[in-house]
Amino acid sequence: MIYSPFPMRVVSKREEAPGVRTLKLEFVRQEDHEFFKASYKTGMFGLYGIFGEGESTFCVASPETRKEYIECTFRQSGRVTTTLANTDAGDIVTFRGPYGNRFPIEEFEGKNLLFIAGGIALPPTRSVIWSCLDQREKYGNVTIVYGARTVADLVYKHELEEWKQRDDVNLVLTVDPGGETPDWQDHVGFVPSILEKVAPSPENTIAVLCGPPIMIKFTLNALGKLGFSESNVYTTLENRMKCGVGKCGRCNVGSVYICKEGPVFTAAEVSAMPQCDL
Amino acid sequence: MTRILLKNKLDECIAAWRSAGFSVLAPVKRNDLSRFEEVERSADMALDLQITERTIKDHFFPQTEPLLRYTIKKHDLDSQEMLPPDIRRVFFGVRPCDASGLAIDDPLFGWDYKDQYWFKRRDNAVIVTIACTTSDDFCMCTSVKLAPDSTKGSDVMLRPLQNGTGWQVEALSDRGTALLDSVSSILQESSETPAPPASVPVKFDVDKAMEWLADPANFESHFWKEISLRCIGCGSCTFLCPTCHCFDIQDEGDTYTGIRRKNWDSCSFTMFTMHTSGHNPRNTQSTRWRQRIMHKFNYYRGKFGVNSCSGCGRCTRQCPVDMGITETLQAISNLQG
Amino acid sequence: MGIQVQFRKEAAELLSSGAVKLVIGYGEGSTPERRRPVFVRTPAETERLVLDGACVANLSTYLISEGLLSDGKNVAVFLKPDGIRSINILAAEAQLNPEQVVIFGFDIENGEARPLAGRKASDFTQVVEAAKAAGLSPELQKEAERLDHISAAERFEYWKEQFSKCIKCYACRQVCPMCYCRRCIVDVNQPQWINTSSHTLGNFEWNIVRAFHLAGRCVACGGCDRSCPVNIPLRLINHRMAKEVLDAFDYYAGESTDQKPVLATFRQDDPETFIL
Repeated sequence: MIYSPFPMRVVSKREEAPGVRTLKLEFVRQEDHEFFKASYKTGMFGLYGIFGEGESTFCVASPETRKEYIECTFRQSGRVTTTLANTDAGDIVTFRGPYGNRFPIEEFEGKNLLFIAGGIALPPTRSVIWSCLDQREKYGNVTIVYGARTVADLVYKHELEEWKQRDDVNLVLTVDPGGETPDWQDHVGFVPSILEKVAPSPENTIAVLCGPPIMIKFTLNALGKLGFSESNVYTTLENRMKCGVGKCGRCNVGSVYICKEGPVFTAAEVSAMPQCDL
Repeated sequence: MTRILLKNKLDECIAAWRSAGFSVLAPVKRNDLSRFEEVERSADMALDLQITERTIKDHFFPQTEPLLRYTIKKHDLDSQEMLPPDIRRVFFGVRPCDASGLAIDDPLFGWDYKDQYWFKRRDNAVIVTIACTTSDDFCMCTSVKLAPDSTKGSDVMLRPLQNGTGWQVEALSDRGTALLDSVSSILQESSETPAPPASVPVKFDVDKAMEWLADPANFESHFWKEISLRCIGCGSCTFLCPTCHCFDIQDEGDTYTGIRRKNWDSCSFTMFTMHTSGHNPRNTQSTRWRQRIMHKFNYYRGKFGVNSCSGCGRCTRQCPVDMGITETLQAISNLQG
Repeated sequence: MGIQVQFRKEAAELLSSGAVKLVIGYGEGSTPERRRPVFVRTPAETERLVLDGACVANLSTYLISEGLLSDGKNVAVFLKPDGIRSINILAAEAQLNPEQVVIFGFDIENGEARPLAGRKASDFTQVVEAAKAAGLSPELQKEAERLDHISAAERFEYWKEQFSKCIKCYACRQVCPMCYCRRCIVDVNQPQWINTSSHTLGNFEWNIVRAFHLAGRCVACGGCDRSCPVNIPLRLINHRMAKEVLDAFDYYAGESTDQKPVLATFRQDDPETFIL
């Protein structure tokens, strides 16, 4: 029923970065899991909650190729995320979803992929990355450009290591100037400028871009300069949500309801929205 | 010859509906507030009010409503939906603008995900509307292309008779037909003519206004700042609006058990769109007022083919600083020349 | 020269000399009986200003708009004695610099507006003293006494009925010059002090918390009462709190810009009737 969440059991919790955690959740009820398996596609989001505290919206960070569990990664900041952060394995939380649209990854087949993410926005990107890497043969070259403020703020460090080792993935890491540690071997600089140095040719390439609004803005500029067409660049938008299903009336940007028509948009679609409403 | 209901037969009608299992709700003025409440007799009704201060929306989408009850146990939890009770209700003496409001909101609550809390109440309600033969300074149904005798959202239409003794009755839906059939012995055939509907002046050219609103160049117009300067950011206009439907979801309870509730929320409030990070897409009152107007006269139409305003005029009638849709749309249609 | 003509002329002079950047006054409303706040920034626009017996709103509430006075420039505002007292309180609570506020003072007598002499808050000391001498509103006192003479249980029932009407639109808060908190306690959720739901309990919590926050600060301008779309007699609650503060501490809100807030200070001879 519409506002009733699924109970989920916390399987494990991982510290990603200061204040950032990943929860691995499993379905308590078989029928809920079946529903999820039948409906989840990469890019969709959910409302994660704790009864007594409320619900909070973030993406499903796990790919559509791995539907045994749901992973979610969040920064502890408000009331709900603080409580979620304090859960332990075995605790029960809730999930409502999956909602929203998805990345059309079958349309990406045969193309080169350029993933660009900043900070805490790696999780939505990571969902697409694994969905594609798990079917690696279907896609061309894969480049991942990921940046964070500091080395400590990089999330999914164990997976970054894995991607670095793979020879079918080109991983480019960067941290903002001043965020590097003495032993940092990778780039120092903001994502847009690093991107301009390392980006593959826009020819037959799809870019997936997730990050804070300011990074998105400058990275879109950079992609434009590199010759990427706006219709080949995908991104996700986030807004405050309560219902997740198009009723509560707060997540719209102009006429577009992020919860129903998003969260995945092409850069062309985002450009068509009233920018001051973002 | 048409069927009529005489005022002096209204009590028989109410009794018949009540004994058939209906609750009858009608305009009531009590504790210095007019709203729809359950009544047992016609003497309790305030049918001569131009319009109730509160809308019948309250009875379909209450200001606070339980969604589910939850119980938290160690490594387990339980939740049960709390759907509204199965009560069949007759809303008697609804104004056409309020009845239209329900019909306007139906597609929203049914948009892909069906909100059973709304529809369970809708499905169990019969809307008996009385056409308006008078209006006040704030009525604006004709400005939004409705009318003092619009049938939208109504199951039965009552048109006041010229001689003031009762109403001409007309069923507009199966539910309305069934309701009238249940009191067919109380209704009479008559050749009395109904009074003409109120003549409500058109206050703005809604087409012109919509054209202006649809132009992306006007989204950041200085107009929005000017028109909303005096807005104090309360939720009065949204909460008294028959079509405003925004809500919040909140949990209330102790450590082990509680109720998740759906509470009215308003696009006028600063916190409505505020992210946890502190970023607020609509961080000024002008952007919030623009959202309200755009939602009603542009976005909603784009999604559901209808404007989200039924012209009741409550937003202006009750505004602490005398703002409202009428002034804004007037100003916009004047901008259009 | 009538007061409206006089104030328009002076407002135009202040604007053209640059002495103020903005004049907040009253203008015509959507019906002949209504007046609405208007914001005037050029001498020509002063023609929009109206002043008569229908101008009752306390416009001082706009002075606490975020950033309005932060540039150090002056703003002129039409104020009745209650609004002048609000300025005194806002100044005493460090919410504005009274030197930046140019006051077009007026009072309404027998349905007519008449000017009050002065332009700065400190010029109106006698007006405020006269208001204090006149005491709390006798009409309100009479209305409130009706409630004093019924039993506690009946009084509780009365307020329960009234608060059950509340829809938490927060018009009372938004229209009030004293409600300047950037984040109202009802909007705080860590911890959630107050239920956000608008059921009778939640409504009680909200209205009682607001009444307490206004004790010794409310000037009885009646803005909340007039703004309430569901007609809760908020004037009676605020009057009652004002009376408590007057009786217990001989404190009349808004006497001057340096009056110490009553509940933020103490005297050794303060009554301690509430301490067990």
